[in-house]
Amino acid sequence: MQFAGMALQPLKAVRIYCEIRVMVKTPSFPTLVRLRQASAVRWWVRLLGVVLLLLLAWRVAVVGLAEGYPASFWISQTLNGLVLGGVYALIALGYTLVYGILLMINFAHGDVMMIGGFTGFFALQLWIGVGWLDGSALWVVLALVLTVVAGMLGSVLAGITLERVAYRPLRGAPRLVPLISAIGASLFLQYSVLLIFGVTPRAYTRPALIEGGFRAGDIFVPYTGIIIFIVSLLLMLALYLIVQRSKLGRAMRAVAEDKSTAALMGINVDQVIVFTFILGSALAGAGGVLLGFHNTVVKFNSGFIPGLKAFTAAVLGGIGNIPGAMVGALLLGLIEALGPSALGIPTEYKDIIAFSVLVLILIFRPSGLLGEVLSEKKA
Amino acid sequence: MRQKWQIAGLFLLLAGCAAPAPAPQTAAEVAPAAEEAAPAAEEAASAQVVIAPGQTIRIGGSFALTGPIPDPGKDIRQAAEIAVDELNAAGGIDGFLFELVAEDGACSGDQGTVVGNKFAADSTIVAVSGGTCSGETFGLKPILQRARIPFVSPSATNPDVVDAECDVCNRVALSDALQGQVDADFVFNQLGLRKVAVMHDNSDYGKGLAEIFQNAMVALGGEATAFEGVQVGDTDFRAALAKIGAGQPELIFFGGYSTEAALIAQQMKETAGLENARFMSDDGAYTQQYLQAAGAAAEGTYMSFVAGDAQAEKLAAFTEAYVAKFGVEPSQLGPFHGQSYDSIQLIADAIRRVAQPDDSGNLVIDREALIAAIRSTAGLAGITGTLTCDELGECGAGGVQIFTVENGAFKQVAGFGM
Repeated sequence: MQFAGMALQPLKAVRIYCEIRVMVKTPSFPTLVRLRQASAVRWWVRLLGVVLLLLLAWRVAVVGLAEGYPASFWISQTLNGLVLGGVYALIALGYTLVYGILLMINFAHGDVMMIGGFTGFFALQLWIGVGWLDGSALWVVLALVLTVVAGMLGSVLAGITLERVAYRPLRGAPRLVPLISAIGASLFLQYSVLLIFGVTPRAYTRPALIEGGFRAGDIFVPYTGIIIFIVSLLLMLALYLIVQRSKLGRAMRAVAEDKSTAALMGINVDQVIVFTFILGSALAGAGGVLLGFHNTVVKFNSGFIPGLKAFTAAVLGGIGNIPGAMVGALLLGLIEALGPSALGIPTEYKDIIAFSVLVLILIFRPSGLLGEVLSEKKA
Repeated sequence: MRQKWQIAGLFLLLAGCAAPAPAPQTAAEVAPAAEEAAPAAEEAASAQVVIAPGQTIRIGGSFALTGPIPDPGKDIRQAAEIAVDELNAAGGIDGFLFELVAEDGACSGDQGTVVGNKFAADSTIVAVSGGTCSGETFGLKPILQRARIPFVSPSATNPDVVDAECDVCNRVALSDALQGQVDADFVFNQLGLRKVAVMHDNSDYGKGLAEIFQNAMVALGGEATAFEGVQVGDTDFRAALAKIGAGQPELIFFGGYSTEAALIAQQMKETAGLENARFMSDDGAYTQQYLQAAGAAAEGTYMSFVAGDAQAEKLAAFTEAYVAKFGVEPSQLGPFHGQSYDSIQLIADAIRRVAQPDDSGNLVIDREALIAAIRSTAGLAGITGTLTCDELGECGAGGVQIFTVENGAFKQVAGFGM
């Protein structure tokens, strides 16, 4: 994973190398060969892509659909996928925001989410202790909202601390350095939580209000799933408005475009970066708490796999691209939920499907489905 | 992911380097001139453990302190400590006291290999209690076999943990060959169910037990509608459950540990086709942590346990010492404390039979004699019954018990002792 940043655009790297050679006016023989090879490679890659797609379609038609699952099964799985995608989106946005501005992959982001999950858990224990969850529906809703807010605050605290301690001192360093720092930060967060709270998973208690779910015939959606989907859509909408409509959002986009010019225009770059970490961490914290209610456990390493999946989603949609992260996340959730049944393989291999998608995207469309909008010039 | 693998690989590499390292060193010390003497010297050194006066008899312990079942792992470790305390309070062997060298086997084969290499490289380790999990024990097994260190596992239940080829492998827990059979018999004959779906967590333990259960069920005339694997550490099983629900099973059997079992018990209630299906799991999920994590969804679910033939009087004395030292009832943490205590007692009993004092006041333990002595244990009175090891290394007593959850507590409904 350390080299993901480099591997993002192998072909582009070849091309840029060639362009530099051309610019310094040394069109040596190896350069010409390399240029020709690059274009030949591109054709072979395309051919490979078509073959893979045909194979996939064949597998779905012959194996997946032949199982004869009822329509309600596919609808249920689709809904599962959307819920999963909603959570991935909340986390993926944090990766994308930070990448958009700093061009670094914050590998500790999944663990920032886990911190939010833990903070939410302890807040929930507090409300249970005070007795709010036994009160009327209004109190329960208030307690739930406050749990999510607590989780967001916990994550924000972790996020800005990381930015200050682990990333800011390395801002001028080569790109691999903050990446390694991020991996260290990830392990530091995980094992701090392991040391402080122990290895035993903590179980979220769902209040009766959100226990159970909505049923229509053979289709069943848990209330927590509906809440996750709606809340994640609302938070994404809020994020979109902040980035596109607010003054700070404009500053963020300016810093993403060009840090030094933005600074010359009177934008406090440090402040904008901290603000970016706050936004990303808050979304992750909300994701952590929502996931806690949905799957009912948090554990010191429960941010690791969702973090990786969300990173996959961000790359799938085009890292640095906010709508891309949302689309990528929902798509990844759907692929994970529908993939095993559609391809007729055991569900235990769902992670393999997710990461195969990552590899395929890196091969066939290194800049993601919607493109790496913000970072084009720097890649 | 890759990051984790690389770290694990690095550790394996380090562990692999650590093991052969002592050989040249010993050779250099013993006979710096003659290099051919190295293998002979090493063999002589490893055939016996010589304990100088004032040093301790060191017993290794591989416990699942992290990983999927930390609480039962801790329980097993603490029970072993109680056993060691008791042996030392009684004076040890000729004044030589016991020492427990506890390592974290993490319930995984990788970590079991690391722990095994650590013990193999340490020439003072006489025997090992553990590992906690079957996969972890599969990691320990080949290394300890090569290093001629006998082990007694308190809780690894996969049938292949002991086999005819392995003379250092022993266990106090009962085999899953028995547990899977009894579970299937209970589901088929007592619950009267025919259509089951089988799930497992892809661990050596969980998958092994799930396969035994499925085969036993089919042999009885039942039908397995699905055989689905998940991963230890997964938290969202809805996709797998939706697939299982399409087959409309009457019961889901899960081979695995408590966290995943609790989540499956909860999430199956939210899955079409499984609203009325019952849930059964195993000794890996027979914990307080399962009850706590599954909450209301635990009610009416079934768990089986490979119980010892509990000796009430001994158990009461043990529990008293345990509560006095650790301030918690052993059964609050996990089910295998009796087996763990007995595994240490079994090892100590065998050491007592083979340990010889030499002329300079050292205590000498011959490794091969110890391996044979553990295997020839017969009629040893333990907390979990009268322990007698057979030719495979199965030393446990007792039988399989089946529990259901009623008002948030386990209640035995069938099996051994009823």
